[in-house]
Amino acid sequence: MAASSSVGRVLTLCKQFQNVIRISSSINTQHCSTTLIKYQPLLYREKSPLAALSGYSPVSSVGQCRALHTTINRRGLEEFFDLPENWGETNVKSGAPWTAKQLRTKSNEDLHKLWYVLLKEKNLLLTLEQEARRQRVQMPSPERSKKVERSMIRLETVVKERETALRLLQTGQEKARPGAWRRNIFGYVYWYRFKEYAIPWHMNRRYKRKRFFTPKFVQPHIRLRIEQHLREKARKATLDKKTQSILKEKFPHVKVSAS
Amino acid sequence: MRLTALLSMAARVVIPKDYRFGTNRPWTPAAKRLNPPGKKRRKVFVEPIAPEDWSVLRGDTVEILKGKDKGKHGKVIQVFRHRNWVMLEGLNTHYRYIGKTGDYRGTYIASEAPILLHDVALIDPSDRKPTDVEWKFTEEGERVRVSLRTGRIIPKPIVERRDGIVPQQWKDGPKDTSPEDTLEKTYLPSLKTLEEEVMEKLGIQEKRRPRRSYWY
Repeated sequence: MAASSSVGRVLTLCKQFQNVIRISSSINTQHCSTTLIKYQPLLYREKSPLAALSGYSPVSSVGQCRALHTTINRRGLEEFFDLPENWGETNVKSGAPWTAKQLRTKSNEDLHKLWYVLLKEKNLLLTLEQEARRQRVQMPSPERSKKVERSMIRLETVVKERETALRLLQTGQEKARPGAWRRNIFGYVYWYRFKEYAIPWHMNRRYKRKRFFTPKFVQPHIRLRIEQHLREKARKATLDKKTQSILKEKFPHVKVSAS
Repeated sequence: MRLTALLSMAARVVIPKDYRFGTNRPWTPAAKRLNPPGKKRRKVFVEPIAPEDWSVLRGDTVEILKGKDKGKHGKVIQVFRHRNWVMLEGLNTHYRYIGKTGDYRGTYIASEAPILLHDVALIDPSDRKPTDVEWKFTEEGERVRVSLRTGRIIPKPIVERRDGIVPQQWKDGPKDTSPEDTLEKTYLPSLKTLEEEVMEKLGIQEKRRPRRSYWY
């Protein structure tokens, strides 16, 4: 019950997009007759920069009026702002964010489209936040930004999961970015992540100055560090034992005191 | 260090090991005033209760067993796990002035004090008496609280969400995806990455070859 009513935050992908296009096309057919004659040059000029945007919208399949972009809005700046009925309200209701479980059932194409829809919504909310700051007014429903952010993070996680699975199958590598375990000058062994360079390492002067080994004079300091660490561990162990004994004394009925 | 990491470090509140938790959340100015970074207070020993053994939930009706309001029933508003405290609505109150400015002495209000979990007991709904509670599993496999005296199941309290939404009465807005569309499965596993699939669908052909680069 709760699962079925927990709704996604964003515009639907296939079905509602088609509905929007159908609606927009039907409205435009009404406008077409009046405006085409007057504004024809404008429409033609607008077509080219927006053709790329409409590239992955099913306009061609619906194809009613001539190839228009998906949104009814003229310049597209309206997409930076909320629907006009929400202007000036202090509480805009919004649904739950997308969960990773729901996103895993979607195809890659759907996820790709959803990412851009979420991005546009994020830009909308950021402009709203900035404008609210400028007007020194509280932003209406700030939890929307968090919901969008979380949906985007979960989407990225799902995409990364799919990529990792494919990579493991094809190459056996777990990590996308190459790296290696290296020792630095202080004696620590750490996972060094490789960077992309245009020149090989033997021609890179700055890289050659980095030392991935420990000089001999650092060895005594490493030993002192180990001793420090052991002393700290021993101190922590004795403190834990002391607290456990005090807890046992204060609360004798607790059988196994969870530390 | 990366800028985002630095900013998140500034935003996150660091709680030292010997932090004495109070009724205020650690990031509020009141808590910062009571627990400034350099202070050291006597350590409070809290009875360790495992998370799965915790039986009092927010919204439950409990009875107070010890203290000023002994024998009274109250609803749980807040639970403090780190101190094993429970805050009841309007019970165990002391009075103080709030909003004092200059000469004005402020409003006289009753503020609740937290009660230890040990001093409250859940109420059995059948006979309205305090009982001990244990977590048991039902026939269906649901984990429920069962009163040890009568054996009656104590249901989980219904708590209102902070944003006031009731999931059963929710109506989708224009930007919300309908439940059918959300649960619709469109994923077909394939041996193509997202980029390759999307490029195929959009008809993008990448003829350029990447320049030789070195990773080290």
